[in-house]
Amino acid sequence: MDAETRTEAAVDARRPGPARAIGEVLLEVKDVTLRFGGVRALSGVSFDIRRGEIRAIIGPNGAGKSSMLNVINGFYQPQEGQITFKGEVLQKMRPHFAAKNGIARTFQNIALFKGMSTLDNVMTGRMLKMHSTWFEQMLYMGRAKREEIEHRRFCEEIIDFLEIQAHRHTPVGKLPYGLQKRVELARALAAEPEILLLDEPMAGMNVEEKEDMCRFILDVNDEFGTTIALIEHDMGVVMDISDRVVVLDYGRKLADGTPDAVRANQDVIDAYLGVSH
Amino acid sequence: MLYREAGQFKTSYAADQAIFPIRQDQIAIGLMAAVAVLGVPALANEYFLETIFVPFLVFAMAALGLNILTGYCGQLSLGTGGFMACGAFFSYKLATAFPELHIVIVFLLAGLGTAGVGVLFGLPSLRIKGFYLAVATLAAQFFLVWMFNKFGWWTNYSSSGVISAPPREVLPGLFITGTEAGPVTKYLFLLVFVALLALVAKNLVRSRIGRTWMAIRDMDIAAEIIGIRPLWAKLSAFAVSSFYIGIAGALWAFVYTGSVEALAFEINRSFQVLFMIIIGGLGSILGSFLGAAFIVLLPILLNNGMLAIDPTISTALVSHIEFMIFGALIVFFLIVEPHGLARLWQIAKEKLRLWPFPY
Ligand SMILES: Nc1ncnc2c1ncn2[C@@H]1O[C@H](COP(=O)(O)OP(=O)(O)OP(=O)(O)O)[C@@H](O)[C@H]1O
Ligand SMILES: [Mg+2]
Repeated sequence: MDAETRTEAAVDARRPGPARAIGEVLLEVKDVTLRFGGVRALSGVSFDIRRGEIRAIIGPNGAGKSSMLNVINGFYQPQEGQITFKGEVLQKMRPHFAAKNGIARTFQNIALFKGMSTLDNVMTGRMLKMHSTWFEQMLYMGRAKREEIEHRRFCEEIIDFLEIQAHRHTPVGKLPYGLQKRVELARALAAEPEILLLDEPMAGMNVEEKEDMCRFILDVNDEFGTTIALIEHDMGVVMDISDRVVVLDYGRKLADGTPDAVRANQDVIDAYLGVSH
Repeated sequence: MLYREAGQFKTSYAADQAIFPIRQDQIAIGLMAAVAVLGVPALANEYFLETIFVPFLVFAMAALGLNILTGYCGQLSLGTGGFMACGAFFSYKLATAFPELHIVIVFLLAGLGTAGVGVLFGLPSLRIKGFYLAVATLAAQFFLVWMFNKFGWWTNYSSSGVISAPPREVLPGLFITGTEAGPVTKYLFLLVFVALLALVAKNLVRSRIGRTWMAIRDMDIAAEIIGIRPLWAKLSAFAVSSFYIGIAGALWAFVYTGSVEALAFEINRSFQVLFMIIIGGLGSILGSFLGAAFIVLLPILLNNGMLAIDPTISTALVSHIEFMIFGALIVFFLIVEPHGLARLWQIAKEKLRLWPFPY
């Protein structure tokens, strides 16, 4: 069985499941424009992400996909437009607000804490759930110790789930690329996010690694009901696992819809085949 | 005895998270503590206590402090000397203004005061990094030393050049400062005090706060997106670090040298402590101690060694050779082993664990 049919089999098996009910709009970006000096990274982009879905963002290089995720979790502040998250209208998202309200992400160029072990990276991902005081931590007593153990248990579950047990005490800088991507996903999951933003989670991976990553993403979506927005260049993967796809090109939205509709869209075909505008 | 963890299974996360999870390490630490508390005072003469063990412990405290800021939180600082001076002069003012105050309280309060100063000078770290931050802390270094020299208030307008630390007892009858303080009392007091504060530092770095610092050090962008506030993380590292360094300065003036003078805390001191953590190991509590021991011992060994070889050798030549060896070591550790002696120690332990069958 090759990679594609295998992921397709996984998708088919899960599609009609009742757990996969796609709900109301969780996050909506509206008319977002983002400029860097003279460069328009995004021009008036609007789309929404529904609770429980896997939403893909695709587009050629430099289309503004990463910028879009950066706007969503408040890392970039758009000049125009607004974001509605869980019914709350925000002119600007702030990273800390996003983290606190259940938005987690991974980066295109892995952004792990390289000097820390896998376990410490994942534990750090959980830090907003820990509440012990300074004093308790200084003495490593009471709530500080309890929390370390409780959250360690939770993090170990994620580590098991992503099959990186053998590397829990290894400094992540020493892990191979594919595993680092997994640790980054683990760190994001440790926050128990409502919405997970994945920036090219499979870039640079070989076929087996991609397959594993696909399976993890689907499992996260299935088992925890986490909403996922993902950027991916591999069309096969996108068409297989996503519920809806938004296509960006030169900072504009080109198309938005189901994988089949997007695949059939003439503008999208032109953009990908490089027809001049 | 073989160094093995075979047969020691950890059945709980609590056991795995202990500071010394392997039994042989626990035994070794117990032995070391026994030697430190009973053996050293019994065997070492006064000269060794005064010139090696006391300064070693004081330096270890300063290195712990700088390691928290630079090793754990990644903020390079050249202001260590200035912060040590704060601790020394704050203690002096407190001890003379409130003679009834217990000396340990004085030290802790001086540490807190220095923490405040550290936060103030840490504010630029929110905007600038690396080299530029180092320059900003250098400004702190020069400003602080200048201020303590300039204003007579800090020395209670004393007319004599040398300001002696007032005599104080840690327990009734046991003087740790002043002329009556004996080296054994000083040593044992420092041992307990530094060990306790090192334990607190270890607890901090293995808890949420420590991970926050390391996250900022390794990838501040990702840290922010996880929900860490860079402002808070950096300033707290400056505060805790300065607290330790301030206390080290107080111990230096009160317990080690017995005199309070800004001259002791010039820029050289900052570099000396920085070298300790580079050689000992950045981001390691153990490394702070190893580095301090190394830098205290090396000049003494070198001096005695070279005098033994050639009794006519000039002191200037000895100190030049010392500089060259330090320079070479710093370069070696920065390039080859940034985690310093602590890492070499760890590698040795790993080898030992597998010995004699490396595979
Ligand atoms: N911090 C920044 N400063 C200046 N320009 C930027 C910045 N971030 C992105 N850009 C510009 O914005 C545009 C969109 O970049 P973005 O990284 O969002 O593209 P992308 O769709 O993720 O591309 P890729 O597939 O290569 O990752 C590019 O022209 C890029 O040069
Ligand atoms: Mg990108």
